[in-house]
Amino acid sequence: MFFDRNARKKKFDDRGFESEIRFHLQELIDTHLAAGMSPEDARRQALLEFGGQEQVKQQLRDVHTPAFLHTTKTNLRAAFRLMRRSPSFALAVTLTLALGIGANSAVFSAMDAVLLRPLPFPQSAQLVSLHQYNFKDKSPESELAPVRLEDWNRLNSSFQAITGYFTADVSESSGVLPEKLTVAMTAPRFLEVWGVGPELGRGFAPEEERFAGPHAMLISNRFWRRRFHADPAAVGKTLRIDALSYTIVGVMPQSFAFPDRDVDLWVPSPADAPQAQSRESTWFHTQGRLKPGVTLAEARADLALVQKQLGQQYPKTDADLAAEIQPLKQEIVGDSGRSLRLLFGSVSLLLLIACMNIAALLLARATSREQEIGIRFSLGASRSAILSQLLTETFVLALAGSILGLILAAEASRFFALFTKDLPRVEEITLNWRIVVYALACALVTTLASGLFPALRATRRGLRHSLSRSSYTQVAGRNPLHWTLIGIQIALAVTLLIGAGLLLRSFQAMGRVDPGFEAAHILTLRISASWAETADMKKVTQRIDRTLAALRAVPGVEDAATAAFLPGVPARYQTELKTAEGPRDPNRKMTAEVRFVSTGYFSTMKIPVLHGQPCPGGSPYGTALVNRSFQNSYFADTEAVGHHLASASAVSIAPAAEIRGIAGDARDEGLNVAPVPTVYWCLSAPSPDPYYLIRVHGDPMAMADTLRRVIHGVEPSRSVYDVMPLEQHLTDAYAENRLRTLLLSFFACTAVALVSIGIYGTISYLGRVRRRELGLRLALGAIPSQIVTRFVGQSIRVAGFGCAAGVVLGFGMSRLLAGTLYGVSSIDAATYLGVLGLILTVTTLAALIPALRAVRLEPTCVLREE
Amino acid sequence: MPPIGKSDLLQGTLDMLILKIVALGPVHGYGISQRIRQISKETLQVQQGSLYPALHRLEQRGWLAADWGESDKGRQAKFYRLSDKGRRQLAEEQASWQRLSKAVALILQAAH
Repeated sequence: MFFDRNARKKKFDDRGFESEIRFHLQELIDTHLAAGMSPEDARRQALLEFGGQEQVKQQLRDVHTPAFLHTTKTNLRAAFRLMRRSPSFALAVTLTLALGIGANSAVFSAMDAVLLRPLPFPQSAQLVSLHQYNFKDKSPESELAPVRLEDWNRLNSSFQAITGYFTADVSESSGVLPEKLTVAMTAPRFLEVWGVGPELGRGFAPEEERFAGPHAMLISNRFWRRRFHADPAAVGKTLRIDALSYTIVGVMPQSFAFPDRDVDLWVPSPADAPQAQSRESTWFHTQGRLKPGVTLAEARADLALVQKQLGQQYPKTDADLAAEIQPLKQEIVGDSGRSLRLLFGSVSLLLLIACMNIAALLLARATSREQEIGIRFSLGASRSAILSQLLTETFVLALAGSILGLILAAEASRFFALFTKDLPRVEEITLNWRIVVYALACALVTTLASGLFPALRATRRGLRHSLSRSSYTQVAGRNPLHWTLIGIQIALAVTLLIGAGLLLRSFQAMGRVDPGFEAAHILTLRISASWAETADMKKVTQRIDRTLAALRAVPGVEDAATAAFLPGVPARYQTELKTAEGPRDPNRKMTAEVRFVSTGYFSTMKIPVLHGQPCPGGSPYGTALVNRSFQNSYFADTEAVGHHLASASAVSIAPAAEIRGIAGDARDEGLNVAPVPTVYWCLSAPSPDPYYLIRVHGDPMAMADTLRRVIHGVEPSRSVYDVMPLEQHLTDAYAENRLRTLLLSFFACTAVALVSIGIYGTISYLGRVRRRELGLRLALGAIPSQIVTRFVGQSIRVAGFGCAAGVVLGFGMSRLLAGTLYGVSSIDAATYLGVLGLILTVTTLAALIPALRAVRLEPTCVLREE
Repeated sequence: MPPIGKSDLLQGTLDMLILKIVALGPVHGYGISQRIRQISKETLQVQQGSLYPALHRLEQRGWLAADWGESDKGRQAKFYRLSDKGRRQLAEEQASWQRLSKAVALILQAAH
C-alpha cells in the first residue's frame, strides 16, 4: 500500500517537474527567437543553456524524498562500507547473533507451534477433553463408557455436542497382503464436534451410526493418496476390514489428523450396539465442544450435576464417579509445555549473553573510533545523526545475523521433527511468517540492547575531548563498564551451566540405575486385533496363549510373554485395592500400581520370584503376584502370599485374585521411578492387543523376520507391527528428556564459549589501549609477571562476582528443574562446584593468553611510536 | 567582470538571492534566473541545475509558496511567492550577510 501510494506520488511529482522545465525551455526559445535566431537554432541553443534535464529532475526528486529515507540510505551505505573495512569484526558479530537469534527462533518456532498457536480446528478454544474418574479410590482419570457418554451428551446444557473415539489396529485384506491400518472408532457427532467436514464425499448418515446399519467409513487424506493415488473415484469403493466390508463415504482434508497422524480410517461405533450397553466398559477418549460463551467452570458445574443425577439413577455403577474437564489443547500439549518454556528461557539467556558480548565489542570499537566521531561532530553533525548512524551499523549486522539465524531455525525445525517424534504437534513446526517477524524483532531488540548504550557513550563527549586527546595515550582507566558486562555474562553462563549440569547428572544417574529387569535381548511387537473381540475374552485369551506357545517353540527364543504395559516405559495405573480377608489397617488405604502380565513374564524379563510361584500356565484366572515393596508396605508383619486381592472400585477389569508369589522390585513403571508397591495380575489378555515380549539369544532384530513368519503361520489374517527391541522403546520414552539435556548442554557450552571470547577480547583491548602505559612501565623496570597477575586477577575477581550472582540465579533454575530431575538433588554440590571450577579455569585461561601477549612488547619500540 | 558560476557562490547565498527576487512579487523559475542576471549586471549566472532544486527546497521549508498560473504569454507556469515565514528568513539572512560582508571588508582594508 505504502509503496503504491509512494509510486503514484512520484509520478505526479515528475509531471510537475516536466511542465516547469518545459516552460523554462519555451521562454528561452522565445528569447532567442526574439534575438533573430532561426527556430532550430533557438531550440538547440536553449537546450544547451538549460543543461541536463534528467539531472535536474533527479535532483528535484532527491529534494522531495523524505529526509529520514535519505539519511537511512546514507547510514546504510556507511554501515556496508564499515563491514567491508573490518570484515572480521562484522563476521564475529554476525555469527554470534546468528547463533543467538537462530537458537532462539528455533525454540520459539517449536513453542509457537506447540503452545501458542490454537489447535488446527475451527473455534478450537471451545474444545475440551472429558474424563470420568472414581473419586473414592482415586483411580486415574479414564475413558468413558459409551452409554455414559450418551447420557452426558443428552443431559448437559453447556455443550454443543460431546463425542469420543478409540483406536484399534486392524487388518485390511482386500489387497495382495494384509495391511495393518489404524482405525478410530468414533462416537456419534464426531465431525460436529471438530467442526470439520470431509474434503470429498460426505459424513456419516444417521443409519450408518446405528447398530446393524450399513458399514461406512471416512478415510484419511494420507491413506487416500497412498492407496488410491488421490483418485476421487475412491469414494464409494469398499475395503475389507477384518471380516467385514466397509464402504468409503468420504475423504477427510489433509489438515485433519485427529487423534493423530497415524489414523487411516474413521468408522462409527454405534451407540445402540449390545456390547456398548454396559456402564462399566470404558472405551471412549471423550471430547466436547462448549457452547459459545460457556466457561470451563460453568461446564464443570453442569456436568457435576448431570453425573450426580446419574449416580442416583444407577447407584451401583455411577455413584462414585465424577467428571473432569480440561481444555483439549492442555491435554494434547501435556508436559511438553514445561520443557519448551525451560528451553526458551535458556535460549533467551543465551541471546542476552550474545548481546552483552556484542555490547562489549562495540564499546571497544567506539574507543578506537573516537577520532572519527570527533571529526564528524566538528563538521557539524548532530548527536542524533551520529547516534542513528552507529545504530544503523549495528542493525545491519543484527539483520544479517537474524537472516542466518532463520536459516538455522529452519534446519532446527527438521531436527525437532526427527528427534522428538513424541512431541505433540511436532508436524506443525514450520518456518512461517510469525517466525520471520519474531527473528526480525529479535534483530531490533538486540540492536537496541547491544548497540544503544555503546553508541550513547561514544557520542557523549562530543567535540570537547575527542580531538584533543588521542586514545592511545590512555592510562590505567578502570573500565568498570567492560567488566560489568563481563560479570553479567559470567552470571548468566553459570546459570545455564548449573541447569545443564543438573540435567546431565540426572541423566547419568538414570543410566546407572538397576531397573530390576533385563531389557537387553528383548524383542517387542504387537499383533493387530479389534476391540470387537472383547465380546468373547475367553477366545482372545486362547488365541494369545496359542501365539505365545508358538513363539516359545521357535529355536533361538528363550521365553515369551505378554504385558499390558512395556516394562520401564513410563505408564501409571494406580488402583485402590482391598483384601477378601478384611482390611489390614482400617486407617490406611491400600493402593498399588497394577500390571497385567502373562505366564512367563518373570522369566522373560528376568525379574526374580523371591517367594511362591510365578504366573501359572493355562488360563490363570484369579492369580496374582506382588512385588517386595507391596509386601513390605502392606504385609510387613505377615506373609502376603495366600491373601486375596480385589479392586476396591466396582469398575475394574481386574478380577479378584489370590496372591501366589512375591517378585523382586523392578522399575516397571518407568526407569526414573523408584519401585512402588505393585501387583502383577496374571492375565495374558488384558486387551486384545497386548505387547508381546520375546527374549531371544543374540540380536533381537535379527529374529524379527523369523518371528513374523511364525506368527503368520498361526494367525494368517493378522498383521504384525511395532517390531522393535525393548531397549529402543526405552530410548524413545526418554527422547524428550535426552533432547532437553542435549540442547541445554549445547546452550551452556555456547555461553561459555561466548564468555571466554568476551574476556579474551576485553583483555586484548585493554592491552592495546594501554600499550604506551605498559611500555613505559616496563621501561621503568616493572616486572611483566606483575602486570599479567593484575590483568588475570582482575578477571578472576569479576568472575567471582559473576559466579556468586550466577549461583543465586542457578538456584532459581534448579527450582524450575526440580520436577524433572532424577537421582540428583537440585542443590547438588558436585554440579555447583564443577560449574564454578569450569568457569574459573576458563576465565583464567581466557585472560592469561591476551595478558601475556600484552606485556610481550619492546618498551623502546612503543615509546618511539609517538 | 567575468560571470560568477554556481561553485563560486557561497553556500546559502543563492537561497537568499532567490528569496530577495521573489519578495519583489510572484515570479516563475525562468523569471528568477533572468532577474538575477539582469540585476547583477550579468555578474551572477544561476545554473538551472541549482536553481530548481533550491526553489523546491525553499518551498519544502515553507519559505516559498507556489501556484500554477498563466504567464503573460498565456503559458502554464509555476509562480513562486514569499510566505510570511520566508519574509522573516530573508530579513535575518540579509542582516547577517551585511554583518559578514562588513567584517570581511574591514579585514581586507586592514590587510592593505
